[in-house]
Amino acid sequence: MINTTIAKLALQALLGRRRFFLLLAFPVLLIGLVALVTALVDGDAAYEVLPNLGYPLVLPLVAILAASSVLGPEVDDGSIVYLLSKPVNRYGIAISKWLVALGATLAAGALPILVAALITGDSTRAVALFLGAVVAGTAYSALFLAISAVTRHAVIASLMFVLIWESLLGNLFSGIAWLSIGQWGLRIGHEISSALPDPANLGYAIIASLVVTVLGAWFAGDRLRSFSLTGDE
Amino acid sequence: MSDLTPDSGRPGVIHDLGYRHFDGVREGTPAIARNLFVTGLRHAYGLGRSGKSKVMPFLLLAMSLLPATIVVGVVVLTGLGELPVSYADYTNQTQLLVSLFAASQAPVLFSRDLRHRSIVLYLARPLAAPVFALVRWLSLTLAILLFTAIPTVVLFAGAMLSGLDKSDQTTSVLKAIALQVLLAMMVAGVSGLISSVSLRRGFAVVGSVMALIVLTGIVTVMQNIAYYEGDNESVSVGVGLLSPWSLYNGLANAWDAGVDTPVPVNGAWVPAYAIVAVLLAAACLLGLVARFRKVGSR
Repeated sequence: MINTTIAKLALQALLGRRRFFLLLAFPVLLIGLVALVTALVDGDAAYEVLPNLGYPLVLPLVAILAASSVLGPEVDDGSIVYLLSKPVNRYGIAISKWLVALGATLAAGALPILVAALITGDSTRAVALFLGAVVAGTAYSALFLAISAVTRHAVIASLMFVLIWESLLGNLFSGIAWLSIGQWGLRIGHEISSALPDPANLGYAIIASLVVTVLGAWFAGDRLRSFSLTGDE
Repeated sequence: MSDLTPDSGRPGVIHDLGYRHFDGVREGTPAIARNLFVTGLRHAYGLGRSGKSKVMPFLLLAMSLLPATIVVGVVVLTGLGELPVSYADYTNQTQLLVSLFAASQAPVLFSRDLRHRSIVLYLARPLAAPVFALVRWLSLTLAILLFTAIPTVVLFAGAMLSGLDKSDQTTSVLKAIALQVLLAMMVAGVSGLISSVSLRRGFAVVGSVMALIVLTGIVTVMQNIAYYEGDNESVSVGVGLLSPWSLYNGLANAWDAGVDTPVPVNGAWVPAYAIVAVLLAAACLLGLVARFRKVGSR
């Protein structure tokens, strides 16, 4: 199923030139900010950065950037045709690309959250948040890859999901926790440390994350299978 | 260009291929700039473009109008003596939508011409690269201003219809509009500069989101931590100089326009905020001009 050549190409697209620096900026910013606040004030004050900024904003943004850079540029300039004209299973293409996006999300999104949380002191809390970030990062990257395969405006559509649905409306209506990837991750992390909130049912959170991940990767492959070329705009 | 048609005696841009000459009045740079401005403003809302590209701007506009209509409905039905949210604070509360609008529409005005190299066609007309950059920036500024002003006007209309005090409401709505002009200038400058440098739409959007939303989040967290945990008022106010939204909020707070900041902005901080805001807009505009001058000279 996994095609190493496609994965390698996706990795090159991800690490190519400026994109890499944009991707690198997030972990550097997050860890730098947390380290600065820890040094100036204390660990507990610095920890507040993570549930308010690192987890709900930096992690999804890294996932969006990773998912859209493995698929987006090819769709944008039309060179995906050359890839799709090869006798390679489309699901294989989607899964190879997703694995690369997932790796980037975990390395540049979840790992910095672990490091930053460790800097603030409490290691149980850090591991719990890391587990949540891994679960959410996995589901996010699959969902955003599926969105990238559907629309040219994938980045904006994904941003609207994260910023408006999960952040803005999620803060207003607690019921959105049932339909919010970030909250499922937090619920699973809650099992390790009660410093994390408990917004939904554990079994539901696990199943929902799994379903979104599998469906997202499958749907991306399905979209590639019936991909139609349209002009810009 | 003018030496291509030496006989006509006026600077023309149409090459002389032996066809009949155009004897009418030639409109110069101002007319081109005006047309470019109107087209840019329409394109920012997807007007004159495909149906799909109208979805995003109008969806965002509808989302930022919805709370305003709800607020107006509540005020009218329950007969409240004042609006539950001030005009300037409404813009602040919907800042995610404003930032997303700027991030999604700035690439339309600033990236496409550079990515497809159609910029050379624009610059082949008697329109200098700096003017092109300035006009694009004005289009985006007005587009963002309209985005923030429309809900404000709806709120104001609701306040007037439900019979709130006219002079109070007019003063605060004018303050809010003036602040929104400054905000639109800053946000248009930042998002425009980012999209003119990073030509792939996706990266331009993520870059603008980083500069507008993530940076504002960082600034807000720092302001709160500096005040509530660190007990340091001047650091909390000083950090606010770092992002367009905290500048907007600080100035609105100083001007008594109904926005709360962790620490009130007063004294010498007020001119500092105003100067930094103007400098930020000016610096982004200079950056845009430099960028388009460089691209235009290639």
